[in-house]
Amino acid sequence: MIKTRARIRPILYAVVVALFVTTALLGYGLSVRAQETQRAKTLGQKLLCVCGCNQILTACNHVGCTYSHGMLKQLDDRVARNEPDDLTIQAFVQEYGPTVLSAPPATGFNRAAWIMPIVVPLVAFYFFFELVRRWRQRAATATASGPTVSAELLARAQREAEKDDDEQR
Amino acid sequence: MDIFGSFALILAFLAAVYAFTAGIAGAVTRRPLLTRSARHAGMAVFALVTLAVASLEYFFFTDNFSMAYVAAHSNRALPAFYKFAALWAGQEGSLLFWSWMLSTYVFFALLINRNKHPELMPYAGVVMAGVQIFFLTLNNFVASPFGVLGGPDASGTMRLAALGDGHGLNPLLQYPEMVIHPPMLYLGYTGFTIPFAFALAALLGRYPGEKWIHITRRWTMIAWCFQSIGILLGAHWAYAVLGWGGYWAWDPVENASLLPWITGTAFLHSVMMQEKRGMLKVWNIWLVFTTFMLCILGTLLTRSGVISSVHAFAQSSIGNWFVGFLALVFIVCFWSYWLNRDYLRSDNTLDSLVSRESSFLFNNLILLAACFAVLWGTLFPVLSEWVVGNKISVGPPFFNKVNVPIALFLLLLTGVGPLLAWRKTSFDSLRRNFAWPVIIGVLSGIVAFMFGWREFYSLICLILCVFVTLSIASEFYRGARVIAARDGSNILTAIGDLTMRNTRRYGGYIVHFGMVLIFIGIAGSAFNKDIQMEMAPGQSLTIGPYTILCQNFDRVANNNFESERATLEIFRDGHSQMMLYPERRFFLASEVTETMVAVQSKPLHDLYVVYAGRSPETGKPVIHAYLNPLVKWIWFGGIVVVLGTGLALLPNRRAALVLRPVAEQSWGDAVAKGASAVGAIARSSDAHD
Repeated sequence: MIKTRARIRPILYAVVVALFVTTALLGYGLSVRAQETQRAKTLGQKLLCVCGCNQILTACNHVGCTYSHGMLKQLDDRVARNEPDDLTIQAFVQEYGPTVLSAPPATGFNRAAWIMPIVVPLVAFYFFFELVRRWRQRAATATASGPTVSAELLARAQREAEKDDDEQR
Repeated sequence: MDIFGSFALILAFLAAVYAFTAGIAGAVTRRPLLTRSARHAGMAVFALVTLAVASLEYFFFTDNFSMAYVAAHSNRALPAFYKFAALWAGQEGSLLFWSWMLSTYVFFALLINRNKHPELMPYAGVVMAGVQIFFLTLNNFVASPFGVLGGPDASGTMRLAALGDGHGLNPLLQYPEMVIHPPMLYLGYTGFTIPFAFALAALLGRYPGEKWIHITRRWTMIAWCFQSIGILLGAHWAYAVLGWGGYWAWDPVENASLLPWITGTAFLHSVMMQEKRGMLKVWNIWLVFTTFMLCILGTLLTRSGVISSVHAFAQSSIGNWFVGFLALVFIVCFWSYWLNRDYLRSDNTLDSLVSRESSFLFNNLILLAACFAVLWGTLFPVLSEWVVGNKISVGPPFFNKVNVPIALFLLLLTGVGPLLAWRKTSFDSLRRNFAWPVIIGVLSGIVAFMFGWREFYSLICLILCVFVTLSIASEFYRGARVIAARDGSNILTAIGDLTMRNTRRYGGYIVHFGMVLIFIGIAGSAFNKDIQMEMAPGQSLTIGPYTILCQNFDRVANNNFESERATLEIFRDGHSQMMLYPERRFFLASEVTETMVAVQSKPLHDLYVVYAGRSPETGKPVIHAYLNPLVKWIWFGGIVVVLGTGLALLPNRRAALVLRPVAEQSWGDAVAKGASAVGAIARSSDAHD
């Protein structure tokens, strides 16, 4: 009985180790696959389907779209080959032209696409603060100087005041 | 009958031309008879365009396929529901529909104000007639919906031809919301013509005071409300029909509808500064002008083919007409402004940066920044092609990156603005009003973070949503407490009472709350999940808490379409929840295939299943399942926005009612008590309105 147990033990150990290794490999394989899928999805967000639908590559679901299926397969293959992201994107640009990118690249004139939505509000804010500063300055000046009275009106008021004084006397 | 429709349209055009010229003559010569006849002509346009629309609908319902427009957009098997909607399915019909909506607005504007504002109305009538002339010119001479099929025979005589059946309605439009969505959007677009007409009229006639603002406020709110409904219905249609799992793709046509909505929102806020403090007159006039011009620009983008879009199904060279009209409108607006700019001087200036006025100014700047960013992104491909000869794409990643921070800042201002007083807000008041909303907002963010809500923008959005909700609630509570203390009523009755006394202000808060719900729904999109799998009957996939078991694939057919359908059983925690039937329909008349999404919508998430067709390699059916959190909040938020706008449109219950409960007391006591209550509300209103 003891002999049998002694004989089985190494087999059990071997089975446990094999199971552990298999699980680990399977887990690693799955996690790599999950990472690849996630990476493909992230990269897919940076590309548009070129069928004319104007949709993100991973979102194009047009029936019989002759582009998205092939493009997605191409993307999956490149991700599986562990190709760097930049290279993958560049390969798509070379094949389908710059319209394949879902956002303008920050190069050359296309920089303007990114800069203007920041610059214009900043300029607007500058004018806003400048306007407020002027308004406040004007309000302060108006309060300090009081209401403007013409020389003619002032002279008339003085005359009437003197007349009143004379009558009171 | 086609002659009848064309004739009605020609008469409508002539009536509009008469309304325009007689209106100008009446305004210049100040002869009431001319002005009155111009008004009647303006109202007659509505009746005539209605006849033209009725005539075209008659052709649809009688399957008259000798009419080119009917043959192109309808077929015998099309359900009656969609035959009605086919009116706006193409270029010509949608332009006629536009004219009809516009003439309806003009009719009511002229009718309601027929005995009011004798100095302003002739000018407003002229502007409205001018806009109508443009659209009726298109209806009559550029894109007539009454064209017939046929041509000259061997002898050179014109012969009519009729098809046996029509090409059918675009399948994308064969969805119940498509019967409601375009009319709502058109009511929004055309509705902004009325405030534009009154603004331009006030400027041209140098109409004194802020009267035009009071007249147009309700019209602007109505147009804004329709535009909001139209945009949300469009988003829901995209979600339920296009089958890509989202509701907003930053498509140029979607953007075009958003642009006037943004400037309209800015106007509805900044108009209060002109009403209360006589400020921002130039700004308001230009906001109204810009909103109208953006409506025209939106139409130009949709119809000209300048920008490629999946929605732009009505493209033609008609864009040149819109460019011309847009240029003309700008010249007229600028010229009117330049001549009368001295009339637009502000009565007051800003007293403090921490005040209600400055929050409105900030809000306007942010809204305009958002508008610019959307417009810039939409037009950039054209600009890039024009400048460097390279067409590039500007898709959702650009718009999200640029607009999400702007939208969050706007959300912050939605909470901050109502808590600030007019003119100046003291530090004590700031501390008192902001402390709890800020503390609870931040705490809710910490709790959400601990429960795994880690996406940065989404987390900030959640914190701001809590902050804004609390700031709105505190506004209701503070006002209601005064009433409850005075009347001895409970707080809920007092809230109802308070709301009805200042419907505009509290209706506005409800609109803000609706926007908060929409933002929560949008924040949920950071946690979307999806999975795509080839499935044979008996196979299953798991997404989130759901297991989807494929039961069967079958075919269904009727006169309009043939459909390939998946039967899916949905399990949650091992229990069967329901059956879903995503489809792929082949429409017989148009020979186009479209997806029909199956959605199980719950408050916390939507299970959204698309039958994506068969795999080209294996021939097996492919199921694409999405788990989209909080989407329902967006639609619910939309309903709240509409209810809030409806409430804001109601007249206030007068302060006289405040005295009603104390009628049995002595006159002196009643007056004293009533006056103190009215005073308390007025103070509260002054501080926060």
